Amino acid sequence: MPKIKFKIVTPERLVYQKDVDQVTLPTKTGEITVLPNHIPLVALLAAGELVAKVDGQELPMAVSRGFIEVGKNSVTVLTQTAEGVEEIDELRAQAAVERAKKLLQDVKNKEAVEYTALAGKIEKELARLKVVRRRKHTHQPTIKSE
Amino acid sequence: MAVSTKIIKKRIRSIGNTKKITRAMEMVAATKMRKAVNAVLASRPYAFDIWAMVMNLISRLEIKKHPLLTPKSEAKKVAIILVTSNRGLCGGFNSQIVSRALKLADQAETAVEWLAIGRWGAEFLARSGKKLVAVFEKPDVILTTSEISALVKAVTGSFVDGTYQKVFVAYTDFYSALVQKPRLKQLLPLEPLADAELGQVGQASAPQPAAEKNFEYLFEPTPQIVFNELLPHLVTVQLYQAMLESTASEHSARMMAMKNATNAAADMIDDLTLAFNQARQAAITREIAEITGGKAALEAA
Repeated sequence: MPKIKFKIVTPERLVYQKDVDQVTLPTKTGEITVLPNHIPLVALLAAGELVAKVDGQELPMAVSRGFIEVGKNSVTVLTQTAEGVEEIDELRAQAAVERAKKLLQDVKNKEAVEYTALAGKIEKELARLKVVRRRKHTHQPTIKSE
Repeated sequence: MAVSTKIIKKRIRSIGNTKKITRAMEMVAATKMRKAVNAVLASRPYAFDIWAMVMNLISRLEIKKHPLLTPKSEAKKVAIILVTSNRGLCGGFNSQIVSRALKLADQAETAVEWLAIGRWGAEFLARSGKKLVAVFEKPDVILTTSEISALVKAVTGSFVDGTYQKVFVAYTDFYSALVQKPRLKQLLPLEPLADAELGQVGQASAPQPAAEKNFEYLFEPTPQIVFNELLPHLVTVQLYQAMLESTASEHSARMMAMKNATNAAADMIDDLTLAFNQARQAAITREIAEITGGKAALEAA
């Protein structure tokens, strides 16, 4: 089975680049899993959890909106943010969601632009929370010194 | 002669002060440069990948009808976005990019409207009586894409409704701390091959020919929806990258300018110290000559 050349790029950095066995991606129309020899595809990435599998090991990441290009055994993800589980601080993510929700209440009647920006932010933060909650406690029971 | 040494001493002191200032500015610029250079290097892969992706898709799809891809031949005006610094004291950084942009404006067959990012360029354009339609403040150390979204919205809006035939962005490409090149890029309509200019990194990893990529793409949900998201985003990214390049270039240019100024000040102090010592020596010699002369005159009497 050939491997997939997998790459995540954000405006801030090249987050991840490696050959993987399969990638599960959240898209606007639902979750898809890309296996080797997948048909070339261009799709819109939704905020959510992205999981890459290498040699049976799962690598979960929280991503925000962006674009996916599936080529011949290559997957390129272009997104605004992408973080591995260990990078996310659960409490801070939770606080960010609360903050954004509160802001959204205030803004609701104002400009549509601001509204969509905030809605996007909430979407992103919720995705981060979801990833961290699902993965951090089950997979990597690390003890943090506070 | 005593006056002369006094004057020289004063000048040495004043140049010493200037040197301290330029040295401090050099340090500040160096810190900012480091940040800006890191930012620009980090975002190049993204800018390059998304550009390559769009161009690859455009070349194989008959999607040329998208408003951001179609040239507006009937429009009467061209817009130039001029990216300069806010302040001067950065060598030829601003004048180079301005002269490059003005050359383009002279060649244009249509009327040109200017949008300035950065105070220096805005003031220059206003002074020289160009048609300046919008001025945007340039953040000192950049930045998120949301900070330029207003500008992007303004130009894409005017382009789509047919006000502008083309939109260019004039910025300074960052090669290294020593080399920065003024550059003009066509922002709208998006054109294949109009780019390949995202600094040396972009050129080094130029897109491989599409030979092995010769296949049809599936779009999800539809090509239209994907492109409606992708193309405006690409415009933002292009401009964002141009701003990052400019910022990195500006701080590098300023650092070099200040370094040169510091060195020049050091040289001047050396020269003046030499002149000061000579003047002091001359004064002493003359005083001795006068004393011995006076003594000789007394003895003769």
